[in-house]
Amino acid sequence: MLDWLDAFLISGLFGVVQIIGLGLLVHLQMGLTRVANFGVAGFWGLGLYVFGILYGKVDWPFGDPWQFLVCAIAATAASALAGLFVAWLISDLDVDGALVGTLGFATVIFLLATAWSDLTGGAAGLGGLGFPYDAGPAKTNEFIWFVLTTAIVAGILAYVLWVHRSPYGRLLIAVGTNEPLARSLGKSSTRAKLTLFTITSGMMGLLGVMQAVMFRFIIPANVTINITLAALAGLILGGITRAWGAVVGVLFTVALFDIVIQFYVPLPQEWYTQAIPVAREAIFGLALVLVLLFRPKGMLGEMKRPQLMRRIHDFK
Amino acid sequence: MPETAAETPTPTTAEAVLTISNLCSGYGSVQVLHDLSFEVRNEIFTILGANGAGKTTLLRTLAHLLPVTSGSIGFRGTDVTHAAAHETARLGVGYVPQEAAVFPDLTILENLQVGAMIGDRAFDECLEEVFQTFPDLRSKTHLRAGNLSGGESRMVACGRALMQDPKVLLLDEPTAGLSPLYVEQFFETIESIHRTRNVAVLLTEQNATKALGIADRVMVLSLGEGSTPVDAAEMTKERLKEAYKL
Ligand SMILES: Nc1ncnc2c1ncn2[C@@H]1O[C@H](COP(=O)(O)OP(=O)(O)O)[C@@H](O)[C@H]1O
Ligand SMILES: [Mg+2]
Repeated sequence: MLDWLDAFLISGLFGVVQIIGLGLLVHLQMGLTRVANFGVAGFWGLGLYVFGILYGKVDWPFGDPWQFLVCAIAATAASALAGLFVAWLISDLDVDGALVGTLGFATVIFLLATAWSDLTGGAAGLGGLGFPYDAGPAKTNEFIWFVLTTAIVAGILAYVLWVHRSPYGRLLIAVGTNEPLARSLGKSSTRAKLTLFTITSGMMGLLGVMQAVMFRFIIPANVTINITLAALAGLILGGITRAWGAVVGVLFTVALFDIVIQFYVPLPQEWYTQAIPVAREAIFGLALVLVLLFRPKGMLGEMKRPQLMRRIHDFK
Repeated sequence: MPETAAETPTPTTAEAVLTISNLCSGYGSVQVLHDLSFEVRNEIFTILGANGAGKTTLLRTLAHLLPVTSGSIGFRGTDVTHAAAHETARLGVGYVPQEAAVFPDLTILENLQVGAMIGDRAFDECLEEVFQTFPDLRSKTHLRAGNLSGGESRMVACGRALMQDPKVLLLDEPTAGLSPLYVEQFFETIESIHRTRNVAVLLTEQNATKALGIADRVMVLSLGEGSTPVDAAEMTKERLKEAYKL
């Protein structure tokens, strides 16, 4: 029934949806609240590995789907707690401090994944994972998993859109633009940032869980800074302050390269292994520079809250 | 001079909204405020001082955005010296800074909404009161605050502080940079806020003449040191000159 779908296309689309999800979450952190996060791979990777270890290495007295649910919840909680902890560490630091702190966290996760090989399988990787259901051939299972992940990312988008019009979102914007003034509004800005990081990091961890199941195999190379850069490049291109920025930006970067060019542009086969990956990084970088030079607010332009507010409130 | 504020509530301290005793504050190792003591009652209390006298530093300290180095701050009989900024705001301190007083990315309405995150009164009721005080804002609620003129931003900032339903308003040079016509109007508005809402007002000014017109009491701040507060009516030119030199 899924003949039109190539297995590689499913995994390409899955990657795009993952990066959109991460970009949306980073938008809440960096676009609204202006807390730099260069450690996306760490929060995502922690969920990935905690899930992989719990699911693959622990003898559970019950099977799927309970085994999956318990492990997924634990992995999400682990990432959420890590988010809370890192946010607490960087809560009083400036942008540079936050950048170093989050990047440091991601580095620690990568090093642990590599070095703690008893638990993580080290560079050889960690297997023993599978889908919590069996609907037939692998491609069908993967397709179902892709749809589930897309539903989760759609949920994240809905959450982002809700935050944009909620009192909590206004508080985050206030904290992001003028934290001292925001503190005189009667809400703890530190608490707002800790809550934000707990929720968004937990969601990043959940996306990591989805990744672990999709590929059934985890290696430290999964959790490098590349994933952070892809999310950031997409978000900045689309517009860091816009709710839809990550969606648009990732479609024009990751999706363009990993799907359109890979599958629909007839290029010599040998290009795919050498030239295209290099060109991909070079063009991402060039696009970023061009956007920052000529459209610093991203392809969608400035956050247009007045129109939004007029639509929502529509009263005089 | 009310230097005995730290003791148990006497009739005078009971009516004081803010009690500042031997307050020292500044930025890191740079001390700006030296041993300030005064109290603000339910009145318009004006602090006059030249550029760099420490007016902004004082209001930031009272809004708890700068830590107190030594001394104490009392708010309606409670010691709040080491309270966090958001706690003081909840108690009823509304702060309108001199610069960057609005959230530029938020609309006017959203600026007023973030003011209303605390306080028990109904949002619509507070909003209506703010619109009555600043009628110009009513038709502009959806505009981005970052695009407003100086006078409009000042109204939004003031309105936002009023949405918090404060017991005392700290206004840092509320008319600086406004055209003369606006200045007069703004002072009248401040006076009417004080009278109709029963809010104590602590405001700072560089120019004595206009501010003295609405003030109940005046203190002169010079190089971080304060004069003895006097009734505005008694603040003659000679006394002003003397105080400015301090
Ligand atoms: N962020 C700061 N760091 C160090 N010193 C400051 C800072 N802000 C103000 N000052 C110093 O504190 C003194 C008082 O400044 P300020 O309170 O802004 O005065 P005013 O508001 O009366 O013009 C000045 O000497 C000024 O240079
Ligand atoms: Mg000042």
